[in-house]
Amino acid sequence: MTLLRLPSATAPARPAARSRSRRGRADRKPRVLIAVTAMFFALLYLPIAVVALFSFNSKKSLTVFGGFSLRWYRAFVHDDVMIASLGTSLRISLVAMAGSVVLGVALALGLVRCRTRLGSLAGLIMLVPLITPEIVTGVASMLLFKGLGVALSTGTVMLAEITFSISYVTVILRSRVAALNPEVEEAAMDLGATRWQAVRLVTLPALLPAVLASAVLIFALVFDDFVLAYFTTGVDPQPLPVRIYSAIRFGVQPTINAVGTLMLAGSVALIALALFIPRLFGRRGGLDILSGE
Amino acid sequence: MALLRFSSRTRRRGADGSRMWTWFMLPGTLWMTGFLIASLVLVAVLAVGTTDDLGNPRFGFDLSGVRALADPAYTEVLARSFGYALLTCAICLLVAYPVAYTIALYGGRYKHALIAAIVVPFFANYLVRMYGWSVVLSDDGPVLRALRAAGLADGSTKILNTGAGVVAGLVYGFVVFMIIPLYAALERLDVSLIEAGRDLYGGPVRTFFFVTLPATRQGATAGLVLVFLPAMGDFVSAQLMGGPDQIMIGNLIQDKFFQGQNWPLGSALTMLLMLVLLIGMFGYLRRTRKDEAEARR
Repeated sequence: MTLLRLPSATAPARPAARSRSRRGRADRKPRVLIAVTAMFFALLYLPIAVVALFSFNSKKSLTVFGGFSLRWYRAFVHDDVMIASLGTSLRISLVAMAGSVVLGVALALGLVRCRTRLGSLAGLIMLVPLITPEIVTGVASMLLFKGLGVALSTGTVMLAEITFSISYVTVILRSRVAALNPEVEEAAMDLGATRWQAVRLVTLPALLPAVLASAVLIFALVFDDFVLAYFTTGVDPQPLPVRIYSAIRFGVQPTINAVGTLMLAGSVALIALALFIPRLFGRRGGLDILSGE
Repeated sequence: MALLRFSSRTRRRGADGSRMWTWFMLPGTLWMTGFLIASLVLVAVLAVGTTDDLGNPRFGFDLSGVRALADPAYTEVLARSFGYALLTCAICLLVAYPVAYTIALYGGRYKHALIAAIVVPFFANYLVRMYGWSVVLSDDGPVLRALRAAGLADGSTKILNTGAGVVAGLVYGFVVFMIIPLYAALERLDVSLIEAGRDLYGGPVRTFFFVTLPATRQGATAGLVLVFLPAMGDFVSAQLMGGPDQIMIGNLIQDKFFQGQNWPLGSALTMLLMLVLLIGMFGYLRRTRKDEAEARR
């Protein structure tokens, strides 16, 4: 079976096929397909472009551009409530990032290396947050906190976000851990390292790029998360997305454009960072977000 | 002797290791069990609970919340959510397929950049994106203006506050979940298969339906599940793009917990949503099992 598949999977077969196809279709370029794709990209970026453009509007309108101004950015900086929310969001993201990375990395290591029944059960539990819609997770977390008599606050958002993020870290890192050669750990132990030392001095450094990348990714995801934060937040400075939600609901405010633009820029920067980190360490141990695995 | 000692050492080491890896797994697993599994159980328990006079939830066994689900007002919302989610899936498939196809087969060396250009905006804040989309689709927005200029719409055509607006929001929100698995499937597709279809005198349409589409069916099913899950539970799109007649089950749940304070009913609705999605997931898993079994044969 593998033998049969090999020729088509190896590289040399492809250029030949491609050159033939180009010859065959030279007269029929996929114009329709390219047009549809171009249209898709236009509609994909239009809303983002509108938000960014009108954040620099000197008028209050969302349809008429009056001229360039930083008015709404100034309004945001002087909006104490928004700034407090920004602080809350940053704190939540940092704590959730730290907590979920520690728990998630340990879980990924354990899941890959531990082949017991407990291991497969843990693997199943880990999948639950990924297949549960956010609104269900949100409702469930809120009920749990209320049921335990815990007042909703920034702290409860942190706990809920950690719960939700552990799975992401584990999923991202699991394939990385599986790709590591366990014999390297064995070698370290043959050289006198204890098991824990082998993990600390050999395995974790090898995972570092992927761990850092997943940490950045989690920070961005938690910072942008709305649904879970919405259900678990208290009234003390609410996370920024929750604040934005109430602002959007109660009439359009151009300040939202400025905040939104800053958040978009921040997310893009973080994602770029997450993709770039593995390169800093050379090509090994990268993070393949784009392959969709 | 030396050999014996060696082997006993490795065996001991193996047992030690497995114990250590269990310790590694434990904190995360216990955390998720305590916070998530327990809370999901609590939702199920509260769905048959009651409330006291102050509206605080009480444990008990009372089916009024569950029975209320049969109320036509709720079944209508459930049916609408289901319809919107299915329509969203269909539109996502129709939109995502040509895009993924074009990038995978004609993207050349820009493939990765193009896919990155699709994925990165989806990491941007969901609310801000939806808000921008609602501005674009508003009565004075660029889309309706362009349609009017092209003579495809008149002054009374609206997108916002209609079902079309809600579905447009859901599509915009989740189409990336369709593109990525489709792109992955199309990337793996051997171009010479398409060539073979052509060589056997299959026209482009026949080749597409008999060769390309079946070869990428798994990517498409994965995409359908990935879009259906969040679309069915979404409440932001209906809130921002729809009116009171377009509310979805997510809006009802939100309402029961924040405005209505009817927690048993809210929990029952949540369980219902979860049930619908679990049935969908189960069907999908059975399907992929079958596919895998067929592939192995």
